Amino acid sequence: MHDAIVVGSGPAGTFVAYGLQGRDVLVLDVGRLPPPACGLAGNLYDLRRSSPDLFAQLIGQDFAGLRNLAGSKVSLKLKAPCTEYVIRGWERLFPVRASGFEPMQSFARGGLANAWGAGVFRFNDRDLRDFPLAAADLDPFYDEITAHIGVSGASDDLDPWFGPGQGLMAPLALSCLGRELLAGYQRRRELFRSRGIAVGHPRLAVLTREHRGRAPYAYDAMEFFKPRNPAIYNPAFTLEELMAAGAVRYLGGRQALAFRETPDGVEVTARNLETGDTETHAARSLFLAAGALGSARLALASAGDHSTRLPILDNPMSCIPLFRPGLVGRALDPREPTLGQLCVVFDPGGGADLVQGTIYGTNGPLRTDAIFEFPLPIRASLAWAKHLSPAMGLLMLFHPGVRDAENHVRLAPDGALDIRCRPVRPGGAEGPLIRAFCRIGFFSHPALCVRPGLGQGLHYAGLLPMAEHPGPYQTDADGLLHGAQRVYVTDGACFPALPAKNLTFTIMANALRIARKARETL
Amino acid sequence: MPDITLADEARYLHRHFFGGPPPPEVVERYAQACGRVLGEEGEHSGPLLRKVVGLGLDPEAVEIALRLRGNRTLTRKIQTLFYLVEVRAEYLPFFFNQRPGLARGLWAVLAATAAGTRTLVRGLLLVRRHGLA
Repeated sequence: MHDAIVVGSGPAGTFVAYGLQGRDVLVLDVGRLPPPACGLAGNLYDLRRSSPDLFAQLIGQDFAGLRNLAGSKVSLKLKAPCTEYVIRGWERLFPVRASGFEPMQSFARGGLANAWGAGVFRFNDRDLRDFPLAAADLDPFYDEITAHIGVSGASDDLDPWFGPGQGLMAPLALSCLGRELLAGYQRRRELFRSRGIAVGHPRLAVLTREHRGRAPYAYDAMEFFKPRNPAIYNPAFTLEELMAAGAVRYLGGRQALAFRETPDGVEVTARNLETGDTETHAARSLFLAAGALGSARLALASAGDHSTRLPILDNPMSCIPLFRPGLVGRALDPREPTLGQLCVVFDPGGGADLVQGTIYGTNGPLRTDAIFEFPLPIRASLAWAKHLSPAMGLLMLFHPGVRDAENHVRLAPDGALDIRCRPVRPGGAEGPLIRAFCRIGFFSHPALCVRPGLGQGLHYAGLLPMAEHPGPYQTDADGLLHGAQRVYVTDGACFPALPAKNLTFTIMANALRIARKARETL
Repeated sequence: MPDITLADEARYLHRHFFGGPPPPEVVERYAQACGRVLGEEGEHSGPLLRKVVGLGLDPEAVEIALRLRGNRTLTRKIQTLFYLVEVRAEYLPFFFNQRPGLARGLWAVLAATAAGTRTLVRGLLLVRRHGLA
């Protein structure tokens, strides 16, 4: 019998395994991997100029790059031939029927963090006010993970929300648009701050110098096409270090189906995806880290429960294009970073919720992904893309997750997950932000804002929430599932609330905290 | 109406947007993509493309008129072609600005937008005249 079984290998599962080092740990995981060779090297735009035909690398022999033309759309980062493995086959492994929610799951080793924006933001006491935790409970783990993964950023006007800037590497270089926006903010800081708006560098799990054998970011614009950039942290890096050191035993190609507590431990039933056989694995404790939807499904399936409705949260999003006329007609900068340029916090006070956003350039995906979304004839759209794109940034806003009694998840008798949500229309932040940015020469209009559907934020939480006095399908402050003796929930499912910040860093820190505490009793 | 193949579609659309014939592999991939991604069977065009290509209609005009009505049949076809050519080096000038300059860029955008307005009007007339909606 193992000391622990960890289900999943994303941010939570990896840091549970990391925290349980020294114990006999088995990681059960589907664990899809990227193709062995991508055929992409160097800077994307240099390559596009020098290589006559990049069809195989950018579209794929099976036309993966065209998948958004038919069927449900996926993130532009997840449809290239070498990145589609992150979400390949998820619908077949994890049937979902959803209304008002657009779910996505990953069965890749490392989870959806294989294609994340790498934003790492500490939750402070205000963010944690609905948690049975304080920031002081998580800070030591944030510090430890920062040292382990490498985080770049700066101490600036965002410190009150992101925490002090110690231990950070230098921030990524800004694009021309990023430099002009930051300079404009700094010139009119008083105006912005009087309106509750702060702008600064993001905190990113992206290296700007060598760290623990990983090379720094090379400004190669490959993020939408090439996986496993060593400069951009991927939980798979940590997991594979643990595997190489013999610190964990990893069983890939396994989908966990249910668990059962026994007098001295937990048994996990899993399907071997290669043979189709069902296997049973036993351990003294079980750590659920299958992603919020996956962990919730396991909890319900293990109880044979097809009636209980679990709550579900996601961050509603809005996307504001920002246009800087003075940059129209600029040539493409092939080394312009495609990662987040700047962060924006809108915290107007007076009891209003905090909203956080990140500003991106438009260099990442293929132009064809965008030009058919303009309400213009194609050649006009092409002219806009050629001459206006260099002058445009996208402010992607996350709003706090909204608790709605009608938003729920239930396990259907046929094994599918039913998700029902009411539409959410976040509001109140776009107008003030647009007016402020107009004052420094970055223009937009509320009519241009795009609001992706709930579920596209990919920040799922709240299904098995932590509570001071947990009830059924809730966990205590240490992640222990109510009614269980040895089953812990370690991913976003155990978050009782969802502030506007990216939750991944807090998932990692909380998972590590839970593992270290549980390790004492294993 | 003459019988139109997917290869005919690719050549017609390419000539309109990029001038001249497409590379043979683009034609081949276009036909494959129509089958695998757009779910089309066989090598022959559907009714909309048969009319557009067979009657020599302006595909850009028809496309925007239909797209604004929520019909993306022609949009998907043209977008397929655009994906297939964008990944080839010789087409980069169509997608990326090769001659930087603020005045040049502003003029190009304004001119294209003005031309686009005429294209939209032409498209609305073509859709109505030929019953393409």
